[in-house]
Amino acid sequence: MGEVLIKAEGVSKKFAKDLKRSLYYGLVDMANGVMGKSKTRNLRKDEFWAVRDLNFEVRRGECLGLIGHNGAGKSTLLKMLNGLISPDEGTITMKGRIGALIELGAGFNTVLTGRENIYNNAAVIGFSREEIDANLKDIIAFSELEEFIDMPVKNYSSGMKVRLGFAIAAQLKPDILLIDEVLAVGDLGFVLKCFKKIDQLLPQTALIFVSHSMPMVARICNQIVLMDHGKTEYQGFDIPTGIGLYYNKFSTSENSVLFDDGSLEVTSFTLNVDENNTLKRGEDLVVVLNFTIKSSNVQLVPSVYLEFRDKEQRPIAGAIIKDKKVEIINNALRYTITIKNIPFSLGLYSIDLTVGNFETKEPILRINNFCSFQVESTTQMWVPIELDANFTIENYTV
Amino acid sequence: MLETRIYSNSNTYSILHILLSSIKGYKSSFYLAKQLAKRDIKAQYRQSLLGILWALIPVFINALVWILLQRSGAVKLTDTPIPYPVYVLIGTTIWSIFGECLAMPITTVNANIGIITKINFEKEALISLGFIKLLFNLLIKLGLIILVLSVYQILPSSSIFFFIPLLLLTMLFFVAIGTLLAPIGVLYADISRMIPIAMQLLMYTCPVLYVLPKEGFLRQIMMYNPLSYFIIDVRNTLTGFDVEHWFFWLGAFVVTGIMALLAMLVYRVSMPIITERMSA
Repeated sequence: MGEVLIKAEGVSKKFAKDLKRSLYYGLVDMANGVMGKSKTRNLRKDEFWAVRDLNFEVRRGECLGLIGHNGAGKSTLLKMLNGLISPDEGTITMKGRIGALIELGAGFNTVLTGRENIYNNAAVIGFSREEIDANLKDIIAFSELEEFIDMPVKNYSSGMKVRLGFAIAAQLKPDILLIDEVLAVGDLGFVLKCFKKIDQLLPQTALIFVSHSMPMVARICNQIVLMDHGKTEYQGFDIPTGIGLYYNKFSTSENSVLFDDGSLEVTSFTLNVDENNTLKRGEDLVVVLNFTIKSSNVQLVPSVYLEFRDKEQRPIAGAIIKDKKVEIINNALRYTITIKNIPFSLGLYSIDLTVGNFETKEPILRINNFCSFQVESTTQMWVPIELDANFTIENYTV
Repeated sequence: MLETRIYSNSNTYSILHILLSSIKGYKSSFYLAKQLAKRDIKAQYRQSLLGILWALIPVFINALVWILLQRSGAVKLTDTPIPYPVYVLIGTTIWSIFGECLAMPITTVNANIGIITKINFEKEALISLGFIKLLFNLLIKLGLIILVLSVYQILPSSSIFFFIPLLLLTMLFFVAIGTLLAPIGVLYADISRMIPIAMQLLMYTCPVLYVLPKEGFLRQIMMYNPLSYFIIDVRNTLTGFDVEHWFFWLGAFVVTGIMALLAMLVYRVSMPIITERMSA
């Protein structure tokens, strides 16, 4: 285990909601600061805790994922870790050189060329002149902007600016790296390149990663802090649980009807789940749908399409149900759909329902998030589908 | 051994400790300040045809107005010891330096608020940055003064050797006041609006455009206004006269020293709070 590089003990920070009052408190704090008096620790009028009593430590080689909804206090915490603002309570201890990928390209002047701005930005984030000169070639090569490096940054696209900014920051050899949602702008090739660089840095670095992209969090983090209104809601090394809790914050049971031409109605439906809305992995999923047909336009038995989404809202699987042989007799149809050996991994899944005309394929009814169910499994995986593998492991002689 | 930083809510550091860390801040951030000054100066002139002339135009116009007023006889002014255009041009040029120095800390902090709230660097760099830019503008203005002096064939005397030290002391005086005002001035826009107005008003209570009157109410005001002595003596060193108020300069030296230390202290303590309030 590496040494502890980041340590937060009881860290809290308060902010004022009202600008005028915030400025006034700033003035009071400054006066107290100059006089050597300490700040008041209680909440003053209009103040609230943006971050409340956070405790964690990150060792070299570890990555802590900081997740939570907008305004949960992630950025405030990151600013404190970066030393921009000081905590109102508690202590943060940071060991070693700090690199922050919070604002890429800070200090750029858009009138100047990319090459000139490399010097500006690098100086701002703490490079010495010698370091910049030594790394200039690597920076330009990493950014892949050789062709445009002598063009004013004004004419760069936002993706190009981020490329250049990251290329500069990536040359820092930090002991501690703070990353805020900055990599979202680049194209896929660049994002992959960034992750490769982060993977390279990780063994020597204690990393804090703020993101709303759970696949990215799952990919690099080994510890999670889930924040809600400034407080820790989950903290630990169990990544799937942390991410699951994050998703539960946004899970809604409400379905949304995207299209309905009025000729068909879902009268009832059932899923073969237990009282906790849960199914065991490997069991069959049985969906029973009862329809009433309300229009004579529907002559043939409509086709039904079920699409499964995981908690990331990624569509992961689908099933088509259609049969020409059945005739419509009394305008009430029951579909009993069995899906064999559900291979989904632990987590929440939702089903989108599409009912369509058998021949023309025109939609009759479309409902997103029609229903949802939980899959229970002994193993926790990030990916939505857990494959059953047959294997042998044996010794052999070379 | 890794450098360890501890962030907490304690103000138990001694004044000496804060001053030392401020000095360290100035030292370690000097390259950054130079780089940013280069950036600002380059960028300022790259998108401009007249370039560095813009540093002179406001001063020039102001002086021109007064030269015309005096020529036309619209205002009656006591005769100046040197040709009036020289008197008024040097006066307004030096006065403009005062104003720039005073406004510099607030202007620079405001111009860089984007990096202040995002990047952790020694904020002292901003004061150095502003100072370098002031010196650059000063060079341009000196060029104008030298030009005017040679056109009117005015030869400085040995007192010219005091020009640089006295001017630097004056600049430091105004930068220190500006830095002391900066924390409030960044939080509330009122201060930065007030500075140009106050400087305009103060200009008329100093011998910038006209000489110290022999008697009367205005003389009283000018005599009480310490800024008068700055302008009189700095102008004297340029135009071949002697420095008249050595006691004043001794006092100014002591006061500036104290204010500079105070400014370093206040700036160091208040910048984290500014960062907090500007990003909250």
